[in-house]
Amino acid sequence: MYRRWLWPSFAFPGILWLIVLFVVPFYAVLAVALGSVDPVTLLKPVPAWNPIDWNVGWIVEVLHRLAPGGSFYGVAIRTLEYVAASLALSLLIGYPVAYYVARHAGRWKGILLVLIVLPLWISYMMRMLAWVNLLQPEGYVNRFLTFTHVLSRPHDWLGGHSSTVVFALVYGYIPYFILPLFASLDRIDRSHLEAARDLGASPWSAFRHVTLPLSKTGILGGSVLITLPMFGDYYTPNIVSPTPTTSMIGNQIDLYFHGGPQPTIGAAITILLAVFLTGLMAYYMWTIHRAQRAVGAVGAV
Amino acid sequence: MARGEIELVTLTKEFADVTAVDGINLDVPAGEFFSLLGPSGCGKTTTLRMIAGFEQPTSGQILLDGTDVAYTPPHQRSVNTVFQNYALFPHLNVFDNIAFGLRRTKRPKDEVKQRVGEALELVQLGGYEKRKSSQLSGGQQQRVALARALVLNPAVLLLDEPLGALDAKLRKALQIELKALQQEVGITFLYVTHDQEEALTMSDRLAVMNGGQIEQIGAPRDVYEDPETLFVADFLGVSNLMDAQVVSAAADGCRVAVDGFELETRGSDTAVMGAAKIVVRPERVELEEHGAPEGPNRLPGMVERLVYVGSAVQIMVRAATGETLQALVQNTGAAIPFDQGTPVQLHLPADALRVLPAPAD
Amino acid sequence: MAENRRAAQFSPLTRARGWLRNPWGRPRFLVVVTWAYVLWSIVPVLIAVQFSFNATRSRTIWQGFSTRWYWGDPVDSVWHDPTLRHALVQSFKLAGADVIVAVPIGVLLALGLARWHGRGAGTSNFIMLFPLVTPEIVMGVSLLLIFTQVFTIVGTGTFAQLLGHVTFSISYVVVIVRGRLFSIGRQYEEAAADLGASPAVALTRVLLPLLTPAIVASAAVVFAISADDFVISSWLSSGGGTDTVPIRIYSATRAAPLPSVNAIATIMMIVTLLSVTLGFLTWRAFTRDERGQKTDDLGALGL
Repeated sequence: MYRRWLWPSFAFPGILWLIVLFVVPFYAVLAVALGSVDPVTLLKPVPAWNPIDWNVGWIVEVLHRLAPGGSFYGVAIRTLEYVAASLALSLLIGYPVAYYVARHAGRWKGILLVLIVLPLWISYMMRMLAWVNLLQPEGYVNRFLTFTHVLSRPHDWLGGHSSTVVFALVYGYIPYFILPLFASLDRIDRSHLEAARDLGASPWSAFRHVTLPLSKTGILGGSVLITLPMFGDYYTPNIVSPTPTTSMIGNQIDLYFHGGPQPTIGAAITILLAVFLTGLMAYYMWTIHRAQRAVGAVGAV
Repeated sequence: MARGEIELVTLTKEFADVTAVDGINLDVPAGEFFSLLGPSGCGKTTTLRMIAGFEQPTSGQILLDGTDVAYTPPHQRSVNTVFQNYALFPHLNVFDNIAFGLRRTKRPKDEVKQRVGEALELVQLGGYEKRKSSQLSGGQQQRVALARALVLNPAVLLLDEPLGALDAKLRKALQIELKALQQEVGITFLYVTHDQEEALTMSDRLAVMNGGQIEQIGAPRDVYEDPETLFVADFLGVSNLMDAQVVSAAADGCRVAVDGFELETRGSDTAVMGAAKIVVRPERVELEEHGAPEGPNRLPGMVERLVYVGSAVQIMVRAATGETLQALVQNTGAAIPFDQGTPVQLHLPADALRVLPAPAD
Repeated sequence: MAENRRAAQFSPLTRARGWLRNPWGRPRFLVVVTWAYVLWSIVPVLIAVQFSFNATRSRTIWQGFSTRWYWGDPVDSVWHDPTLRHALVQSFKLAGADVIVAVPIGVLLALGLARWHGRGAGTSNFIMLFPLVTPEIVMGVSLLLIFTQVFTIVGTGTFAQLLGHVTFSISYVVVIVRGRLFSIGRQYEEAAADLGASPAVALTRVLLPLLTPAIVASAAVVFAISADDFVISSWLSSGGGTDTVPIRIYSATRAAPLPSVNAIATIMMIVTLLSVTLGFLTWRAFTRDERGQKTDDLGALGL
């Protein structure tokens, strides 16, 4: 309360740890990406710690490859498409679920809440493993679909299809979308909706003009929570569709570090990805800020 | 040796965008039940917290029995606080809560046990040692908070709106208990509240605060009957204000003109000149039949409305001067001869009128 | 009631359609979608668990109940296969060590950040929040580079993995503990000081006991996220002995796995769920005394 150095000193170990093992490594990526390579082997990176020595050559090289016509262009576009599709599907499936549990579940609310939070604590790998088993040629999915004559013969789900990757991404990430959305829908005061109905709005109209705007921050929050990590995802395509035609940008980073290692290129892609995501994050924060201000007088969600 | 005298000397607390307490001066003698009364945001709680030690003043002194404690940490002041929401430690039972302060002073176990028992008896909660605070009612929690503070024999007890969370009936009962307790224990109580009735009931003296400053200090009767500012007049009870012009002043009163009518006042507030406000309390307004014999300080009026409040009847009368005044007639069982819409004669006794300077516009 | 008697005269299909079309009932469409989602979300995992008890080597065709993949099979069961056993041990080692290191640092950091008002407080808060929004691959890359280019004494391996786990765990501890600090408020510390407790005593005798549910909950959460971590663990792994269970599952799904993979995944899942449940129940038990106030459902969940 009155000793100024007391509380900051508590924070010291944690902040020191995060600076040494989070901030500094970030800088290391920057230094490698903006560095050069060992002239002999052309593989070993020579990091440029001093900003004066920074060399944008590799960043420029990667930017070239990301531009239309470059070798990364297809992957980049595909990644955007996957994330967009996954987000759209998550919204389509997730909103009704979050809405029902928040507002209409009655005595089932507690149980449903546990059930939608449960996947968050089940290992992501386990959940992917589950689907890999089900999507095998002789797995339950094929057996059910051929049994009901939807398919004439078993489909090779895991053979390299974009739809499988999007499906897996949705399955994996949707719980992280539903939760913040549920939180914001749950917090909407009943009395706002009752007032709207009292003034003559139909159920659909009340939803459109009261519930939907007030849940905007929840939608945005959920979107941030799933798209940011999704852009860096490489393991999901590798598990359900291990072909180059369905790879994401994360796979490229993985390749340049573990395939035939060219860490400098890998670092350059990482930096560009980080910049892109920071921009996305800034956009989200700006939108949330605007949405909250518009709703401010009614009741912060 | 006096124990428990508080003196605030030009005490100021400034926050980033507002001055919460603006250079106040206060002198509370030992053993007094003193209240800080005012609306929310007037600075009374901030003042209390500075005396307790949870806020550091921007400038000024807090003298406890002559020693300036303004920069002493709270755990070293012999001042204890009863918080608004009691702040009973949830992880400790009643006994451990009360014993908490004693244990800091490393007292022997028997002494602790004895003193805690005495404190519980004092607040009439003997036998409740093992309970957890969540098992107690609001009133009981408040008493445990009291016991916890009193067991340490502080020089001063600070109470921050302790009865705010209780219902009206319980509040009234506890007000009487608290007053009796203070007289029994004999230490200085510094009580913060926004409820003027509470302050009037319990205090030996009180200070009315507004906007970080003290408007008036005095005994309840003085502050109620002789308000020195418009704010004090309006904050305590209903005030019945009228615009007036001071016509002449004498040693024992003055004559004022209210819209063509002249009224005599007999008080000590003869320093006011020019534009003024007249204050009269509803219970002092006398109503006479229309056509009753005329006399000084009488105004014609029309009854607008009657409001039955149980023990009395409020009668709103529109005076000939244009203002609506409230008269309070005790419910003696007799019928009230004034119906809505009947003309009456208002008698404003000279010694019931107070003259206050009109606020500068 | 009359309505039920009439309903009983119709065939199940008609009744189902009638139930769906009822305009006064709760939105039927939403009910269906929600429960369909729940089933779609959970049943595949249950099937995977079921197959960990399969009697044959198949992960897709059920041929009877057996515990061979857990301990029965002398070569390929979790108990006997050294790679699987080591992965399990490695996962628990890392998770346990992560809790022991990250929770104290995080609690201190939470206390420091919540009460710090001076210069640097805002920046420190920002630094603490950043790991929560950083994609794991970015963190993996940065840690790999720092441990191979700068702090080369660390290199890759178990120690590196531990350092990585703690780095992303600290922020979770801070958020959980800080939430609890916020709901407690300053009142108890002030009361303690008022009664004569020095700041050290107020911290140990009043604040920390009241923070216990948050500390336990954050320990459970850290254990769970460490056990489930894949990206950081794999980027900082130095091969076979340092592989964790998620890494094993990952490499297995890309090859031709046996149900023993299902088994090891099931074991991890149960341990993680137990840890989270324990944390949640402890939270509920400790805050039982304080539940006079109304909390929303997420508050009750401890979120």
